Amino acid sequence: MKTLLQRNIRDRIMESLLVLSTIVVLLPLIIILVHVVVNGISALNWDFFTQELGSPSRALQGRPTGLVHTILGTLVVDFLALFLAVPIGFGAGIMLSEFPDHKLNPTLRVMNDTLNGMPAILKGLLAFVLIVKPMGTFSGLAGAVALAFVMIPIIARTTESALMSIPWSIREAGLAIGLPRWRVVLSTVMPAARFGLVTGTLIAFARAAGEAAPLLFTSFGNNYLPNHWLGMLLGPVDTLPQRLYSLAISPYSHWHSMGWAAAIVLLVFVIVCFGTARYLTRQKH
Amino acid sequence: MIRMKPALTAALIAILAVSCGGNGDSPGEQRRDRVDILGAGATFPAPLITAMADEYRDLTRNRVTVNYQSIGSGGGIRQFIEQTVMFGMSEAFLSDEVMNNVEQATGGRAFNMPITLADVVPTYNVPGVGSGLVFSGELLVEIFMGDITRWNHARISELNPDVDLPNLPLTVVHRSDGSGTTNVWTSYLSRVSDRWRERVGFATSVNWPTGIGGNGNEGVAGAVQNTTGAIGYNSFAYALLNNMSYGSVINAAGNIIEPSFEATTEAANIELPDDTRILFTNTPAEYGYPIAGFAWMLIYENLDANRAISNRREAKELINFLVWSITEGQELSELLGFARLPEAAVEKSIQMIRQLKWNGELIGQQVLDEQDLLSSVPRPENYL
Repeated sequence: MKTLLQRNIRDRIMESLLVLSTIVVLLPLIIILVHVVVNGISALNWDFFTQELGSPSRALQGRPTGLVHTILGTLVVDFLALFLAVPIGFGAGIMLSEFPDHKLNPTLRVMNDTLNGMPAILKGLLAFVLIVKPMGTFSGLAGAVALAFVMIPIIARTTESALMSIPWSIREAGLAIGLPRWRVVLSTVMPAARFGLVTGTLIAFARAAGEAAPLLFTSFGNNYLPNHWLGMLLGPVDTLPQRLYSLAISPYSHWHSMGWAAAIVLLVFVIVCFGTARYLTRQKH
Repeated sequence: MIRMKPALTAALIAILAVSCGGNGDSPGEQRRDRVDILGAGATFPAPLITAMADEYRDLTRNRVTVNYQSIGSGGGIRQFIEQTVMFGMSEAFLSDEVMNNVEQATGGRAFNMPITLADVVPTYNVPGVGSGLVFSGELLVEIFMGDITRWNHARISELNPDVDLPNLPLTVVHRSDGSGTTNVWTSYLSRVSDRWRERVGFATSVNWPTGIGGNGNEGVAGAVQNTTGAIGYNSFAYALLNNMSYGSVINAAGNIIEPSFEATTEAANIELPDDTRILFTNTPAEYGYPIAGFAWMLIYENLDANRAISNRREAKELINFLVWSITEGQELSELLGFARLPEAAVEKSIQMIRQLKWNGELIGQQVLDEQDLLSSVPRPENYL
């Protein structure tokens, strides 16, 4: 028979273990954030947001250089990818959750998980074969397709679990007043699950926004803004994760600090996207 | 879900509109004439090519943008073959097999046009010893074979009688990634030593008998600078940029050659084949620096056969840039740590440009004729 003291001690031990593991989870994040900000803040200036990168000699000679083309390119590629991935991801998620008896579903689930586990660079390769080769050039579009492949399986999975969490009684209520099945999903289940849907989409978006590998041979990179505005879609375009990588492995210390600054911008970008989406889907009072 | 859609859509449209609006910084009527040129390949010449691109963009008042991405020589050859870039760049010339494949696929040749020179110098970190240690090819082979393990070894001091070499362990540093720098370096070692050729050979990456690996020029430089008694090899530009100590090398004619832009240019001043596919490490040139090679621009003879080039105007602007880069553009070389192309190489390149075609039309010749008429091309200003 355990005494109350023993139980309390046990309780305390478990509690401190949980606190400890929370710290262990958060510590790397904090270290990374602090490190990135400390190293990059000095390179964040007006030029950084208004100038193109150009050659390393610009940085070496103290002439203006920046990443305006990279930031804009990231916005175009990432949002285009989101635009492509959301309908497909939601569709697959709805299929898995709302039509659980469909005979294709087990296969779909396995394929979705396989796609999710596939190395991101293979998705870049897929986009290379599907888009870059036929078009004859690297393009923002190809980069977006590659990133969409990263997003789709995550969105499908999270959509499925978000919809599953909605009680069946809601669907039954909808069906009872004579709504067709698709209307039930679209007008009752999805709005009820919107918090989960948006969270899932954001996780997918944040994951894709940080990927450099799928972009290496799809959007390819650019040292300047494209000469035509369609160039963002139809020509090679710069993106933050990829530029961050190439700045980091460069031999120039000025480019290293620009790389850190690029990391700050990427972090802020993801945080702002999270904030905005949370705000738009905030619970009604 | 439906309720929040307009807000999200509006945000998306706003972001896209902003990003598109930000593209133009010059009058709209010029925009239609604008051309984007895409090239990719070797990392080593990237500082030069991108500086040329900067300069050329200023010269053409933003009309021609040359986007060069450094993805390595291997990547440059690969994307050239895949026809996703308008020109490739490599520190190794195309093999006969690739040349034949291109000829079968496009009905025209693949040209290897020298664009600049790659020179590799031995770099080291020996306390109290600055630049200028003298090495011979045989000595470098013995060091990189692992035969010599201390800096005060007789073989080193006999070439450097005036230098007080410490009794320090010698650590070899080499590249761990595939690289054109390694190709030039090992090609030299193979040419001066049968033993090296048979045991190790030369390639963009080899099976090193000894030493520690560093990733990229910066990896080798870092390892050399952080390891007392280390010796590695770096491109000359890189050694200069990072204030590394580098050695002089005795060339085939028996002269001690201190690395310099002139000595590198001199090394290439030899009898060149018409396709310029030649390795001239251990150059016969009397005052040439022996560990140097070309970096080549790769381009299709039939430009229309390259799927990356979509129209005649792009092809012409590409040729304009090529001509500029091997003539006026060379002015940028020294400031960025590169040696200029020798006259002989420029001539061979011009001969190749003459043969460039667009649907059978000799537009390379046309461009050369037009440039002769407008020979007063503005000179670079930013780099003085």
